[in-house]
Amino acid sequence: MRIAAPWLAAAAALLASSVAQPSAAQGTRQVTDAAGRVVTLPLHVNRIADPWHANNAMVLMLGGADKIVATTAQAQRQPWLRRLYPRIDQVPAAFNAAGEPNIETLIGARPDVILMAYDGTLPKWSAAVEAYHVPIVLMPNSSLEGLETTARITGQVLGEREAKVAEDYVRYLDGNIRRVRSVTGRLPANERPTVLHTASAGVLTVDGRDSVIDDWITIAGGRNAADVVGLGRPVSLEQIAAWDPDVIIIGTAPNQQSRQAILDDPRWREIKAVKTGKVFVNPTGAYLWDRHSAEAALQVLWAAKLLHPELFPDLDIKRETLDFYAKYFHHALTDDEYASIIDATAPR
Amino acid sequence: MRRAAWFAMILVPLAALYVSLLVGRFYVPAGTVARILASPFLPISPNWSASMETIVLQIRLPRAVMAMFVGAGLSISGAAYQGMFRNPLVSPDILGVTAASGFGAALALLCSGGAVGVELTAFLFGILGVGLTYLLARTYRSTPVLMLVLSGVVVAAFFSALLSGTKYVADPDSKLPAITYWLLGSLNGTSAQSLGMALPPIVLGAVGLMMVRWRLNVLSMGDEEAGSLGIRTDRLKAVIIASTTLITAAAVSVCGIVGWVGLVIPHLTRMWVGPDHRALLPAACSIGATYLLLIDDVARTASASEIPLGILTAVVGAPFFAYLLRKTQGAWQ
Repeated sequence: MRIAAPWLAAAAALLASSVAQPSAAQGTRQVTDAAGRVVTLPLHVNRIADPWHANNAMVLMLGGADKIVATTAQAQRQPWLRRLYPRIDQVPAAFNAAGEPNIETLIGARPDVILMAYDGTLPKWSAAVEAYHVPIVLMPNSSLEGLETTARITGQVLGEREAKVAEDYVRYLDGNIRRVRSVTGRLPANERPTVLHTASAGVLTVDGRDSVIDDWITIAGGRNAADVVGLGRPVSLEQIAAWDPDVIIIGTAPNQQSRQAILDDPRWREIKAVKTGKVFVNPTGAYLWDRHSAEAALQVLWAAKLLHPELFPDLDIKRETLDFYAKYFHHALTDDEYASIIDATAPR
Repeated sequence: MRRAAWFAMILVPLAALYVSLLVGRFYVPAGTVARILASPFLPISPNWSASMETIVLQIRLPRAVMAMFVGAGLSISGAAYQGMFRNPLVSPDILGVTAASGFGAALALLCSGGAVGVELTAFLFGILGVGLTYLLARTYRSTPVLMLVLSGVVVAAFFSALLSGTKYVADPDSKLPAITYWLLGSLNGTSAQSLGMALPPIVLGAVGLMMVRWRLNVLSMGDEEAGSLGIRTDRLKAVIIASTTLITAAAVSVCGIVGWVGLVIPHLTRMWVGPDHRALLPAACSIGATYLLLIDDVARTASASEIPLGILTAVVGAPFFAYLLRKTQGAWQ
């Protein structure tokens, strides 16, 4: 062992340097990420690895999807992402559904940078990747404000052209939030319907406070019915009856099936949202609209129109949606396609 | 056992049931609960809201009844297995039923099966798992205890691996948390319908075990001794395994993996009524039913979000088991 160690170290160093060399020659630039770290990137980033399911659609929206060289198994399962960007199926899924990489597949994809969601800690595989001089850029993932930062950082990392799209998108998102807030901001608590957003119905879990979901419920003029903290918390049916939400929104697939199960179940019958027929499915596009996704910009409008149709007579969700996908995803939605997004069913 | 003890065994669980129906996150006055419960039988004009009636009759009552049957079922199964294997460390999942059921449930959740689909798949896989264990353990027309235990380990390991595989490919935004919470155990999903599906196998299995409870005494002396006394040990074991499997597969399929009940309750009961299975099995039913009912009351009322049952039964069960061990110094018979 004593003899082998220096040789191994030398071999590792040689291997690491040979992987990192190509881009290093062309000059560098710096980006500040969500953890406040100044990350040095090659001047032109041409190859990115994206272990964050929702962010793959963000990269596509900003015009940088052809630079994705490693993605996640979960992103490849989003029917609408595959429709909008079929190449995603050919990109190696270096990351599994939990976001853990196969290090060799990842390094083999030769990414210039890895874009990653940051929840306060770095995963333990990050050290192994950084040893190969692949920089990691961290982005926030828990609020609508964070979504703006995520769009900006993603744009900056991808390049000048994409950064411009990101600025444009942030203005659009911000505009939508202002537009809705200017109407709903004045609403007193008793005019704000309580909204229960479910994460899964097979085992009942709901989305609580301190989340991007709580953010858009509040902006859209509602109150989160779920008095728990964080996403996907298990709650009892009796607790939901005690909260007695005015509106129920079904968050994740299979939305339609879960909606029907709730409507058919006698135990849900006396809950206000069920009695008044206000049980809805959340739209799903390139990613889930309700999460930290590009389409959160539309979610704010959709939820506002859903909760307060009388306050937003001029807001045409179909128009907004068609414009959004045409402008940012360069895809003209047909009527059927629009319906499939709003109903959260797979595109036909 | 004295007559008073038999009465207590019936009255205490019923009292616990009534108290359980009074508590919950949704406020229903105690008097109203009583009137709602009586309304199907007595001419009482309803002065309560429809919500209250749904809460008491459709949510609390099925869930409380389910907790009792699951608790009783797991306890009687544990008691029977501890006698049959002649080992105090045995719990009802020793032949791989929980691992196999867990995989079945996870598979159904992964394929977006509804509540009924998940229960049915979990139940069938539980039966399949124990069936495999039994076939694996059959040698020369007998089923030695050692072979049963080892086969159980093999089958449980295999299904645990399949279960991990299911979790590995599950959607981390919805399916994975659903599978994880399911495995932690909960009676949250209980409806009148799931009650109708789970009670028949539990009752059938419990009746089966009660019918052989005297022979269990003989079997717990050892295969050879029991054989020399004219007991067909092989057939008896098959009956016990089949009954126990019906019970545990049904229990796991409705409430996920709830540990420690089938291990601790038989011990506790043995301290009270002694090792005679004729008294042990019914007493274990009674204590187990009360225990899981009260634990589930905590699970559904202590906080706004549901506390998984498996966590509570272990947090309460493990220290209690430690206490029993110290007190009896390991002398279990």
